[in-house]
Amino acid sequence: MEHRYDIAIIGSGPAGISAAINAKIRNKDIIIFGNEELSDKLIKAPKISNYIGFPDITGLELKSKFQNHLDIMGINITFEKINSIYAMGQYFALAVNEKMYEAKAVVLATGVEYTKPLKGEQEFLGRGVGYCATCDAPLYKDKTVTVIGYNKEAEKEANYVSELASKVYYIPVYRESPNLKDNVEVIQDKVLEIYGTDKVERVVLKYKSISTDGVFVLKSSIAPDQLMPGLILEAGHIKVDVNMRTNIEGCFAAGDCTGKPYQYMKAVGQGQIAALNAVSYLDKSSYS
Amino acid sequence: MVEEIKDINFSESVKESSTPVVVDFWASWCGPCKMLSPVIEEVASELEGKAKFFKINVDENPVTAAQFKIGSIPTVMVFKDGSVVEQFIGFRPKDTIKDVLEKHI
Repeated sequence: MEHRYDIAIIGSGPAGISAAINAKIRNKDIIIFGNEELSDKLIKAPKISNYIGFPDITGLELKSKFQNHLDIMGINITFEKINSIYAMGQYFALAVNEKMYEAKAVVLATGVEYTKPLKGEQEFLGRGVGYCATCDAPLYKDKTVTVIGYNKEAEKEANYVSELASKVYYIPVYRESPNLKDNVEVIQDKVLEIYGTDKVERVVLKYKSISTDGVFVLKSSIAPDQLMPGLILEAGHIKVDVNMRTNIEGCFAAGDCTGKPYQYMKAVGQGQIAALNAVSYLDKSSYS
Repeated sequence: MVEEIKDINFSESVKESSTPVVVDFWASWCGPCKMLSPVIEEVASELEGKAKFFKINVDENPVTAAQFKIGSIPTVMVFKDGSVVEQFIGFRPKDTIKDVLEKHI
């Protein structure tokens, strides 16, 4: 049996850090997932003038203060990317590729995803369009598959698909030249639309159109409702109440992922509310 | 109880049922399918008598998988009087599944 944490926090930006610190103060067994930079947006901020107590601080300076706070509290960030979170009822299962973590409550603090879905992407989801090539590749055995890759990671998945599919096209949405197996055909072109009638038939590009049975869209970050199936969104953000509760019991959200304004102080405030409510959720459920 | 069905008995099990039928299309290599399966089992026991629950392995039953154009799994379909009235793709929590099914029961 896996170790079951009290609270899993997804994201190491201001909201996630604030949630982690507050949950730790309440003596909960926590795990926080994120990256070494804490937040890409934070380290890129040239000057921050609206974070109380730190007039004219740079993003990098604020980052090192956050890191110092984490160190003092003995909080270590787990540098792993969560692919999916499953609400199993009494607990949450968090998948990192083949590995699983378990937690009784979850705080989502994933920030916002700026890439818009492609035309036809949502319409044909499950009818040719997928987000996990390794999951659905066997369904495309001896068929034609197109992989739209937003990062280098997608190349691994394309190589895997090429072992099963009869033909794989790879469309990189980044600058570096992809490193792929010989049987994968790279197409340097801009995707305009995923087209079909009752299922995917072709990918329409700026300069040509390719026939395909399946399209995998592989992005760096996953939309919240893809990350946690069943999660209700509102205008692209996670729907929360004033207690930072989502529609799924035991799941809370904080920061940019819950909506505007996209600000540090709002994020840390929400992270705190989310953590404290996760704590009371745990304490209540331990009585029943 | 979620009963396993195959290409050969799909039609009689699903299309000729008097109550709504829920079919879970899955495969052994699919992670989300493994997570969904115990959740569907729970829903099935809570809705016993109101709907029938089946699961079908898409690897072993390509005819049915092709007939319903299964392009991602897990896919769950709800049949009423032999036709598909609802479907969803991917894992869902128990409450969401129950909400979907209760519309048809």
